[in-house]
Amino acid sequence: MRAFRVVVIGGGATGIGILRDLSMRGVTAVLLEQGGLAYGTSSRFHGLLHSGARYAVSDVEAARECIEENAVLRRIGRHCVEKSEGLFVLTAEDDEAYVRPWLEACAEAGITTEAVAPDEARRLEPALSPEIRQVFRVPDGGIDGFRLVWHNAMSARRHGGQVRTCHKVTGIESANGRVTAVEVCDTLKKETYRLACEYVVNAAGPWSGEIARMAGQTVDITPDRGTLLAFNHRFTSHIVNRLHESADGDIFVPHGSITILGTTSARAKNPADTTPAPEEVLRLLSLGEPLFPAVREYRILRAFAGNRPLYTPPDHDAGRSASRNFVIVDHEKDGLAGFVSIFGGKLTTYRLMAEKMTDLVCGRLGVATPCRTAEVPLAEQPSEEMLARAARRLPAHRTQLVAERLGDQFADIVGGLEKSGGSDLLCECELVTRAEVELAAGDEATHFLHDIRFRTRLGMGTCQGSYCSLRAMGALTEIGAPFAADAQAALRLFLQERWRGLRPVMWGAQVQEIELGRAIYGSTLNLNGGDDETD
Amino acid sequence: MKPTDVLVVGCGLAGLTAALTAASRGKTVRVAARGAGTLAIGNACVDVLGYVNGEIVRGNPLDALGRLPEDHPYRIMGTEAVVKALRFFSRLCDENGLDIRTESRENLWIPTALGSFKPTCLCHPYMDRKSLQGHDRVIIAHMPWLKDCHAQMIKTAFARQKGFRDRELRIVELAAFGGQTHRNLTPLDVARFVDTPDGERWLSSQLANHVAQLDAGLCTAVLLPPVLGVERHREIRMRMTRNTGCTLAETVIPPPGVGGLRIRHALTQAAARAGVQIMENTHIVAARTQGRQCLSLVAENNGRGRELAASSFIVATGGFLGGGVVASPGKARETIFGFDLDAPERIEDWGAPDLLDAQPYARLGVKVNGRLNAITPDGDARWDNVYFAGRTLAGYDFASEKSGGGVAICSGHYAAPRC
Repeated sequence: MRAFRVVVIGGGATGIGILRDLSMRGVTAVLLEQGGLAYGTSSRFHGLLHSGARYAVSDVEAARECIEENAVLRRIGRHCVEKSEGLFVLTAEDDEAYVRPWLEACAEAGITTEAVAPDEARRLEPALSPEIRQVFRVPDGGIDGFRLVWHNAMSARRHGGQVRTCHKVTGIESANGRVTAVEVCDTLKKETYRLACEYVVNAAGPWSGEIARMAGQTVDITPDRGTLLAFNHRFTSHIVNRLHESADGDIFVPHGSITILGTTSARAKNPADTTPAPEEVLRLLSLGEPLFPAVREYRILRAFAGNRPLYTPPDHDAGRSASRNFVIVDHEKDGLAGFVSIFGGKLTTYRLMAEKMTDLVCGRLGVATPCRTAEVPLAEQPSEEMLARAARRLPAHRTQLVAERLGDQFADIVGGLEKSGGSDLLCECELVTRAEVELAAGDEATHFLHDIRFRTRLGMGTCQGSYCSLRAMGALTEIGAPFAADAQAALRLFLQERWRGLRPVMWGAQVQEIELGRAIYGSTLNLNGGDDETD
Repeated sequence: MKPTDVLVVGCGLAGLTAALTAASRGKTVRVAARGAGTLAIGNACVDVLGYVNGEIVRGNPLDALGRLPEDHPYRIMGTEAVVKALRFFSRLCDENGLDIRTESRENLWIPTALGSFKPTCLCHPYMDRKSLQGHDRVIIAHMPWLKDCHAQMIKTAFARQKGFRDRELRIVELAAFGGQTHRNLTPLDVARFVDTPDGERWLSSQLANHVAQLDAGLCTAVLLPPVLGVERHREIRMRMTRNTGCTLAETVIPPPGVGGLRIRHALTQAAARAGVQIMENTHIVAARTQGRQCLSLVAENNGRGRELAASSFIVATGGFLGGGVVASPGKARETIFGFDLDAPERIEDWGAPDLLDAQPYARLGVKVNGRLNAITPDGDARWDNVYFAGRTLAGYDFASEKSGGGVAICSGHYAAPRC
C-alpha cells in the first residue's frame, strides 16, 4: 500500500517548492524534515532576492535565471518580497576596471542598471561612506525565507501535499535497483516507520550527502559556511552591494526593522556546523566599513551562520569559485532508479529548481500535467472585507503586516483577532498578536516556540525574546499547546538558541541586552535554578 | 557648589545604601544620579546567595559565603559585614514603610511570574513558598487584560511541586478596571491605580467577591502579580488582608518592576529625611585626580563639564546594564575613570555555552582591595578616597548565584564608613 508516490526529503525552500509543484500537478507526495520548516539554509542567509547582478560577470547563465525568477517571485510571492531596490556601490577600495565589464554583463543577462550620482545615493542613504565613487541601481529585493517556505507549505497542503516535521530519515530501501521505501523516525514520538514510494527526492541541502549515502550513493557537495550579522535597526533602506567581484562581507540587506550584513565563505565541519565565530564577526565588520563607515557603532542583534550546499565535483574547489548553479543528479545512471538529488543553487531560484526537478520526476511517473508554479500565487490577496475587519482590531500600519505574514490564513486570524484579547501584542518589537501566535501554535508542523518565531517573527526583534518569549509561553499554556506543557523547558530551549547568536558578539549594547536577559530569566524567574520540589 | 564629605555616583541599591549609611554616620552626602538605576525595574526582594557552583544553598546563606572564591565581593568584605549590612537595610526599609525581613535562617523561595520559585533572602514573609503551602487553597489571580500575568502557566508549574499536591489551586479572573482600553497595561499601571483610594476599593472588592463565593473554612492565600500599590504598599496590604481574610502574596516579575520601586521609594524617602541630596540627571563622565587622590568628578552639563568636589567618592554606577562598565571586542573599561578591566582577550572566553549557567563575562568588573578601592594589576590602590560598590565590582555572577541585591547592599554599606 502506497499512500504517496513521492517522498521529498528536506524542508527548506527547494524541498517545499518541489512538494508544492508535485502537489499542484496531482502527484501524491509527502515532505520529511528532520527539524522544522526552514530550520536550515533557507533561514540562514541574507534574505536577498537576487537581481542576478552579483553573478553577471562570473556566471551569466546564473544571473539570467536570477532576474527571471526575481520577476516570478515578485508576482507569485508578493507577501514574501520586500520591494527595496538594490544599489551597487564602487567604494574607495574597489577596482574601477570592474565597472564596465559588469555593466555589459548585466545588460547581456537582462538586468537593468541605472547610474545614480554618488551625491544622490548619499541623499537616499545618508549612512553611506562619503568616499563612494560610483553607484548603480539594480532590481534587487528583500525576501523573507521563513515566510516563503511556510507559504509554499500552505499552498502545497491545499493541493494535497503533506508536511511532516521532526521526521528524520533513517534509511532508504531499494529492491532490484529501484527505490521502494523510506524509513523515517518521528523524533518526537520516537517511532520509526516505513513509507513506501516510487520516487525519493533528496533536497536535504547540506545534508544531501548523508541522505545519498543512506541510499548507497554519493553526491559531490561541500557544506560551505556563511556567517552573517543582524543589526537592530534599518540603517539603509536600499540593499547595498559592493561593486566588485563576489567576496565576503559585501552586502547589506534591510529587512523589516533590521539590517543584515553578509556573508563569509568557509568550509563547514559538518552540515550542522552553524555556530558563528567571533573572528568572522569582526572580519565582517571591517569588510562592511568601506560602505558604511559607522558599522561598528551599530548595535548587533545577533550573528548567525548557514551552510550552502555547494556543488563540488572532484576536480573543483569549494568556496567562492564553486558554482552557485544548481545540479540535479538522477541516480538511475549510478544504478539506483527512483532516487534523485538536487543541490547547489540559490534561494532566489528555488522555484525554478523545483520546476526542473518536478519535470524530471513527473516524466518518469508518466504525469503530463504542466508546471503552474510560476503563475499561481503562493497566497491569495486578502479580501477588502477581511482587511477592513482586521483594521478595526489593529492599528492601521499593522493590518497589511499581519495580512502578509499569514497569507492564506489571514481570514482565520481575523476571526482570532476579534476574540477577546486576540489583538493583544505578545511581541512588541515585531508587533505579533496573540491571535497569530495561537494560530501558528495550532499548525501540525509546529512543535517548538521556534516554529512560531519563523511563522510570525516573534522574538526576532530588538529584545531577542527577552520579553516576548515568556509572554508567548503564557498564551500557549492557556490554549493548552502540547509543547507548552513544560513552559520552563520550552523557554530554556528558545533562549538558548538566541544565546547562540549573541555569544559571538559580546560587546557594546549586546552585553547590556545579555545582562538584562540574564537578570530576567536567571535572577528573577530562576529559569535555570535547580529546585528540588519540582517532580 | 560646596564640596561634601561624600559624593556617591549612582542611585540604585548600592548607591542609596551607601549614601544612607554615610549620612547615618554624620557625613554630608550628595548622590549623582544619571537615572533611576536597575533597582527601579527590579523586584521587592534582596537575594543574598541562592546557589554556589550551580548547587542550591541549603540552610543559612551566610554560612555558605565561605564556599565562594576568595575574590568574591562577599569574601572580600567578610560575613560579619554582610550580616550588619542586611540588618541595617532591613531596619531602614521598616522605618520607611516597607516590610522586608531577615529573621529567617535560610533562604525563602518565592513565586515568579513563570510559576517557578527562586531563592531570596529579604522579602515580605508572605511570599515564601512554605507560607503559601501552609494554606489549604491558593487562589491565583488572573487578569487577562494585564500584560505578563499568566495564571495558567503558574498553576501548571505549581501543580508539579510536591508541596502543593494536596492543595486546592484555583484561578479566579479579575475584571478590568476602567473598561476596555487599547493601552497595554502592566502590573505597574495597576499598582499605581491601587495606590489611589478608587484603585484600592476596586481591587479589594474584586478579591472579596471572589473569596465570598468560595466555601469558607479553608485557609486561603491569594497570589497576585505585584499590584498591591507602590507608595502605600504596607497599609494597602494590611487593609486588604483584613477585608479578604486571606494571605496576600505577589509574584516577582520581569520589568517594569513594582517591587523595586517600592524599595526605591522607601530609600529615597529615607534619603530626604537624612538630608542626602539626590541630584537627578547628573551623568558623571570623568574624574580629576592627583596622585592617589580623587579631587572631583565631572558631570556632563550641556556639553560643558561641571565639577563636583568631595572628600570621598563611592562609585556605584552599575555593570554593563547600568553603564558603569562598557565592553568593546575583547576589552572592558570602567566608564568614569576609564581604566581597563581584566578581561579575556578572546571573545569566545567571555561566554559559557549555557546562557543561564555561570558566565565568565558576568565576573568582569572593578577589582578591589579590602577597603573597596580599585586596584592596579599589582594590587595597589589606584585612589585611596574612591570606593566601588554594587554591580561595578568584579568577581560575582548575580544571575547564576542569585546574589545581586546582597552584594549591592553590602558593598554600599561597607564602603561608606571608610569615607
